[in-house]
Amino acid sequence: MKERRNRKLKVSTVLVHLALLVLVFINIFPLYWMLTFSLKTNDEILGYSYKDPVTGVRTQVAPNHVGLPNQWEWGNYAEAMNTGNMGQYFLNSLVVSVSAIAITMVASFMATYALTRLVWKGRKAMNKFFMLGLTIPIHASIVPVYIILSRMSLLNTYSALIFPYAAFSLSMGILISTGFMGDIPYDLDEAAFLDGCGVWGIFLRIIAPLMMPAIATVGIYTFLQCWNELLFATIFVSSGKYRTLPVGVQQLFGQYTTRWGPIGAALSIATIPTLIVYVFLSKRIQDSFIAGAVKG
Amino acid sequence: MKKVFALILAAAMLLSMTHVFAEEKTVLTMWCIATESDANRPAYEAAIAAYEAAHPDIKIEWEAFENQSYKTKIKAAMSDPSTLPDIFFTWAGAFLGDFVNDGNVYCLDETYTAFADSLPEVMLQNASYGGKHYGVPLTMNIVTLFANMDLLAEAGYEAVPTTYEDLIACCDALVAKGIIPFGCSGGETWCVTEYLEPIIEKTIGYEALNEIFAGRATWNDPAIAGAVDTFQEMITKGYFDPNGLSLGNDQVKANFIAGEYAFYQNGSWNCGEVNDAEGNFQVALFPVMDAEKATYGQVIGGPSDTLAVAATSKNPELAAQAAFELGKEICHYGYLAGSGLPAWTPDYDTSEVKALVAAVAEIVAKADGMVLFGDTAMSADPANTYLNFVSKVYGCEIDGAGFIESLTNALQ
Amino acid sequence: MKRTFTYRLHIFLFLLPALILFLGILIAPIAMSAWYSVHDFNSISSTSMDFVGFDNYITLFSREMTNPETGKIFANDKFMGDALVNSLILAALSVFIQLPLSLIIALKLSKGIRGERAYLSIFFMPVLISTVIIGRLWMNIYDPGKAGILNAALRATGADQWLFPWITSRITSSKLAFTGQWTGFRETALGAAFVPILWQYVGYHMLLMYAGIKGVPAELLEAAELDGCTEGQVNRHIIIPYIKPILKVSVIFAVTGSLKSFDLIYALMKDTTKAELPSTLMYKLLFLHNRYGLGSAIAVVLIVLCFAFALLITLAFRDKGEKVS
Repeated sequence: MKERRNRKLKVSTVLVHLALLVLVFINIFPLYWMLTFSLKTNDEILGYSYKDPVTGVRTQVAPNHVGLPNQWEWGNYAEAMNTGNMGQYFLNSLVVSVSAIAITMVASFMATYALTRLVWKGRKAMNKFFMLGLTIPIHASIVPVYIILSRMSLLNTYSALIFPYAAFSLSMGILISTGFMGDIPYDLDEAAFLDGCGVWGIFLRIIAPLMMPAIATVGIYTFLQCWNELLFATIFVSSGKYRTLPVGVQQLFGQYTTRWGPIGAALSIATIPTLIVYVFLSKRIQDSFIAGAVKG
Repeated sequence: MKKVFALILAAAMLLSMTHVFAEEKTVLTMWCIATESDANRPAYEAAIAAYEAAHPDIKIEWEAFENQSYKTKIKAAMSDPSTLPDIFFTWAGAFLGDFVNDGNVYCLDETYTAFADSLPEVMLQNASYGGKHYGVPLTMNIVTLFANMDLLAEAGYEAVPTTYEDLIACCDALVAKGIIPFGCSGGETWCVTEYLEPIIEKTIGYEALNEIFAGRATWNDPAIAGAVDTFQEMITKGYFDPNGLSLGNDQVKANFIAGEYAFYQNGSWNCGEVNDAEGNFQVALFPVMDAEKATYGQVIGGPSDTLAVAATSKNPELAAQAAFELGKEICHYGYLAGSGLPAWTPDYDTSEVKALVAAVAEIVAKADGMVLFGDTAMSADPANTYLNFVSKVYGCEIDGAGFIESLTNALQ
Repeated sequence: MKRTFTYRLHIFLFLLPALILFLGILIAPIAMSAWYSVHDFNSISSTSMDFVGFDNYITLFSREMTNPETGKIFANDKFMGDALVNSLILAALSVFIQLPLSLIIALKLSKGIRGERAYLSIFFMPVLISTVIIGRLWMNIYDPGKAGILNAALRATGADQWLFPWITSRITSSKLAFTGQWTGFRETALGAAFVPILWQYVGYHMLLMYAGIKGVPAELLEAAELDGCTEGQVNRHIIIPYIKPILKVSVIFAVTGSLKSFDLIYALMKDTTKAELPSTLMYKLLFLHNRYGLGSAIAVVLIVLCFAFALLITLAFRDKGEKVS
């Protein structure tokens, strides 16, 4: 009886693995396909026909859809790199994202401290007010934000993206920070207060150092929000100097609409660095992401 | 904590770097859509280099944007004109007209007099409002029927058909040979208008269509419904590549150049590219549908690509001067490269002009009448409502009667 | 601590950075949008705005309009209803396909299967890829020409022989035949847009749920096992009720995310009319039609809807939660 149960278990485990592997395939295949066609010529991707000059017979060569490239066209990458200015855009995206993350972090830690550790009337209502931000669609405010930014002469600078991104990440930041800050024992505040610390002293000496684990979590959620954003980045920034990766990639599509190789190369260039970071830090990234779910 | 401060510090440093340091030269800023791979890019580069060489004390700082996002960008910039560059690319007609109405565009009348010799006033008419000129035309373009003569020969045709009956017979012969007659991008509605507008024009005549685009007449004309039905009949009979429904224009054009379609009807700015491609191509016009109202020589098009000067420019006179000088040179190099016909009278050697460009120039020289592209002629709201209904035409979601009925009532 | 003036000042100072960002970039624009939405202004720079009351909202919700001069009824191309229905379909697909799939994977992975971590990493990976890139990648996958991998696969297996005629028979909006133009028909475009969304976000929700399941106290599970509960019973009666707060967050994100979704459709299709969503319609009205009042009205409707759905979902989960406990 027991043995049979075990065998049955094994069969079901195999089935589960099989199903999971199918999902793995679905997850990986588009990326594999992207990498292969980024290294192919248009002829290889689309197939072609040629006429034998002697016999005049037309031969049809079928497209190579899923195989590895017959001839590795590294030139596609050089082309995407050179005309696309991808390196610069990548750097810009990094500057914008890192700055937005830093601002979100500072603002949400401070606000959370005031909302959870300091006692005052209306803090619950204020907290709810900040949570409104979770549901506001970022695109709904594009025209007013444009007007506000232009009045402040912030258009076409890194700040034109950093501050809106930080603002739209703030609610999530406060939500996550609330969870983390709730784990810090209140006794610590009181001990510090008795030692003569003011509210700032408590925040800087006690709370802030203990919020270290929250940094990665707030960072990841903010990163997901900023790194991919397209519409604000298109409209608030005009100079190529400050253009971010999604806009740069979009621009490149306009240029190579029919040349699949360089498009694939551009897609890969924009994707690979993130994936490399992910490969090395996947456990930390997932743990921090999970922490956000549990604390939030 | 140190890391947080390090991040803040880094952010602060980066923010301070965003300030652009003033330069000694006078700087004129310019926005355009000549991105790195745009056919017009070399013309812009050459024109700007020539301008800066002639004016060593002036520097042109220019940025190029992808066509679709540029339309959004320039409109957003109009909400705060101080964010506009000195010189900006625009389409003539109602697109520029909206900006002029808001007082955001600098009037070019004074500057124009110095260039009147080489720029005929008629070329400025699409960028003139209330009798004043606001735009410098670059090139002019018309809707052109490109034909792959090798494929036509396979179907037994030595020349592009010039009557509708002949065209239909030719399409049938092509289909019988397994060749797709037409390619059209249904994924980009303006490409559909490149077919629909000439068909309507050749049915009701250019004067009537002009009146409709100008808003002086309604769409309520059964002849237009008939033209739309004819177009849809061509689509349902398989004269158009069915994949076109979700293809972009660049893919369709690439397919045509690769010899997959016998015809491709689109702007004459494609002349250079088609001319340089391998194969035997010719240019023509869509044949007449109703000989009582239209003639073969009636075309859709006109000068549309335009440079304009922002009213908020700190050096408006200098910018206006620059816009004309740049416009003239962009026109010059663009004409030689085959990305359009000249709006400016050439004062250079034109013997090197590409064969297809020369052929289109001849068509224009003999043109009986001209109607500006519908989405350029109409102002933003009606133009896009018009495009919304045109996109339903290509998918055969509404018929001709529905099309004229909807447009007649929606565009008031 | 004393409620002194300086204490209040400190509270204010702590809130200040967040308040500036929040009021300046979220709340003020909403107020401005609401103001714009009751005006008619068709030029972004003009100072003249005509007060029109709720006309813009009426326009958005009228399938047909009457021409004031001729009295004839015509189809309104600014009707928001279809776009709203589309986004609700997306939301329903997300809640009833994406989330259950995420939950099943999370349940299986959290039971300590071999390679748990590797599976987790792979399923979460698409979350980190830019939506623009995913849109473009899937545009290539759907390409109706020779290079499109989906149609190539269908042709290679012969599935196109029966699938394409079947899809054609289901298409009522157009007289044209379906030959693999996935983004070209109203009936197929929305589904074509959902697949990449599913592909990208299954991992996101899976990881959230996985975290929740890992948080279920071991004693609870052991007790259930001692009582002889099957795996299905444990899932249904212990794990799912326990992770309800996380499921709630997932449902809220999935629904509001569908209402807000823009980037993917924008990147996937040049012409969004075939799978119009409120945000793409808003973009068109704002930047193509220059109808800023109308566009702002959509923004207001979207904000109200997102908020209402978040509230409704919270209420729905609260009721059920009480019944269970």
